[in-house]
Amino acid sequence: MNHLSSETFGENAKAALANAQLRGALRHATSLFGKRRLEAARSLSNWEDLRTEARAIKDDVLLHLDRYLETFVANAEKRGAVVHWAIDAAEANAIICGLARERNARTVVKSKSMTTEETHLNDALEAAGMQVVETDLGEYIVQLAGETPSHILAPAIHKTKGQIAELFTATLGMPPTDDVAKLTSTARATLRDRFAAADVGISGVNFGIAETGTIVIIENEGNIRLTTSLPRTHIAVMGIEKVLPRFADLDTFLKLLPRSGAGQRMSAYQSFITGTKRNATDEGPDELHIVILDNGRSRMLAHPVTRQSLACIRCGACLNACPVYQQIGGHAYGSVYPGPIGAVITPQLIGIEKTAQLPYASSLCGACREVCPVKIDIPQLLLHLRSEIAASPKGDARERLAFKLWAKVMMSPTLYKMGALAGRMMQRVMPLSRAWTSGRDLRPIERQSFRDQWKSKLSNG
Amino acid sequence: MDSRETILSSIRKHLAASVPNDEPPQTVVPVVAPTPTVTSLVALFRDNVEAVNGHCIVARNEAEVRQAVTQILTVHGARRIAISDAPALNGLIGEIAPGAKEIFEFDVGITTAQAAIAETGTLLLDSARERHRLASLVPPVHIAIVNASSIFQTLAEALAFIRKDGDISPAVTFITGPSRTADIELTLAIGVHGPQELYVIINGA
Repeated sequence: MNHLSSETFGENAKAALANAQLRGALRHATSLFGKRRLEAARSLSNWEDLRTEARAIKDDVLLHLDRYLETFVANAEKRGAVVHWAIDAAEANAIICGLARERNARTVVKSKSMTTEETHLNDALEAAGMQVVETDLGEYIVQLAGETPSHILAPAIHKTKGQIAELFTATLGMPPTDDVAKLTSTARATLRDRFAAADVGISGVNFGIAETGTIVIIENEGNIRLTTSLPRTHIAVMGIEKVLPRFADLDTFLKLLPRSGAGQRMSAYQSFITGTKRNATDEGPDELHIVILDNGRSRMLAHPVTRQSLACIRCGACLNACPVYQQIGGHAYGSVYPGPIGAVITPQLIGIEKTAQLPYASSLCGACREVCPVKIDIPQLLLHLRSEIAASPKGDARERLAFKLWAKVMMSPTLYKMGALAGRMMQRVMPLSRAWTSGRDLRPIERQSFRDQWKSKLSNG
Repeated sequence: MDSRETILSSIRKHLAASVPNDEPPQTVVPVVAPTPTVTSLVALFRDNVEAVNGHCIVARNEAEVRQAVTQILTVHGARRIAISDAPALNGLIGEIAPGAKEIFEFDVGITTAQAAIAETGTLLLDSARERHRLASLVPPVHIAIVNASSIFQTLAEALAFIRKDGDISPAVTFITGPSRTADIELTLAIGVHGPQELYVIINGA
């Protein structure tokens, strides 16, 4: 089920649809997430205004991204952080492995970070001989199972507690149970040893504040606080798009993110980390390294439609709302970022060569746009990418020709009339292409067109 | 060209390419939040702490605070108690701010909080004022004492408080309820990595 490729999306989706256990788990989780999000959003009377404001802030950031990044970096450095720039995944991994190696690190603890999933950092660290421990409960489960996360927010959403219990019995020697509290406390006890032994802690970043050089990290479990408080070295990995101009902007984003994600009014913990500690005897790591990653993001700035992708705050709401994700889950996308946002980000990050099916994994119903806290018009993005794919060698020449013809016919009343007549006759003798109808219903063309009915009714008076 | 310059120039190049398609930027209109009138910030804060599975005790004075602390320690049969270096905690029995190597041995951590947010039941702990990072995180029970006069109504007020000296501390932590997860079937489990129990004692209400 894991490590699927985007290239085989069609087959992946079919296999997922045949997996009753997976679909049960997804139905339960996505509907619950959706319900909680709605309740949380309704707890604020100005939800729509907040969304508009958040998007305007993000648009401003993206239009002046170079300036905001430079300000952020200058302020973080002023406070003692060491900033590294990584053009791509390989450079980010080389920087992080280098830092860990210089510190003779043997154990590295990690908190959940989609960005490091994107760069496959764990593989790089393990290849460098280090033990890497994912500490978010969902990530830990997925790591024990040798899988990849299937949801941005809840990595193990595809697993039932029965499967997790079996996994813990097999890997941790825990007596079989279906008690979630027992499973959780077993993970807690096991991971505490790892935290105590860790030399380096690696986290993601939710927001980087330009004005103060602060990184903000949000969570419920406490593993991020442990990761960023206990080891002597903290390495934070952030995409270039994570910057916000002002500290006060957090008022908007700290309201939108937890409500859109887990449906909470506030996540249990927010860590605001600004540089390094002031005195050697203070608590916390001795050093803070911030790795700023591009990895294809700056390309998305080149058009207002694609630029929106960088406004995403990774809440996961569009996954839960998507009728496609709800049925097939995250693994079928064969990408680190699944669901609607994954279907638009993945082709832009790694190119359409291997991902050309993803922008079609949507009915364009617009549910993703409706729930997005920063109002990303995902359907617009999907169409934009589809047109790019159609125009590329990946596109189908027959399809291009068919739609060219279609456009001609639709723009000429005479051709349209002839076309409808021809269609009406043809459909009796020649059924439509099976590739088109195997997954869709197509209503037959009516015997009499509206124009004909209008004419005959008028003449009947 | 180093990576910094490569990334920055890539950003500039692609933004420039976008200009012909760009629409005039929207101005950011800050949302003026209608702040509801609240009769008691203490009551609102307590309700919201309890709504996220925290315990909340309202004490009228220092003596009542100490009494509440003793009671909690007794209930949990606490043997090793970690105490932050906050002056307000002087005289409590325990070890002051144990380090990363020892902290795992402790049963209870006691800290103060520099501020709180009534609307969400959130505590604000500031590393420049108090060594709170480990004592409020690692022991299975966390007791936090906050002055009634330090409770703000809104998140915006608390964010402004963090920057009130123009400066900002190396580590500020917001805490809303005990540690929690819903990673298994979205079933709530309390106390996954951080404290399993959070007691908030409001002083001077």
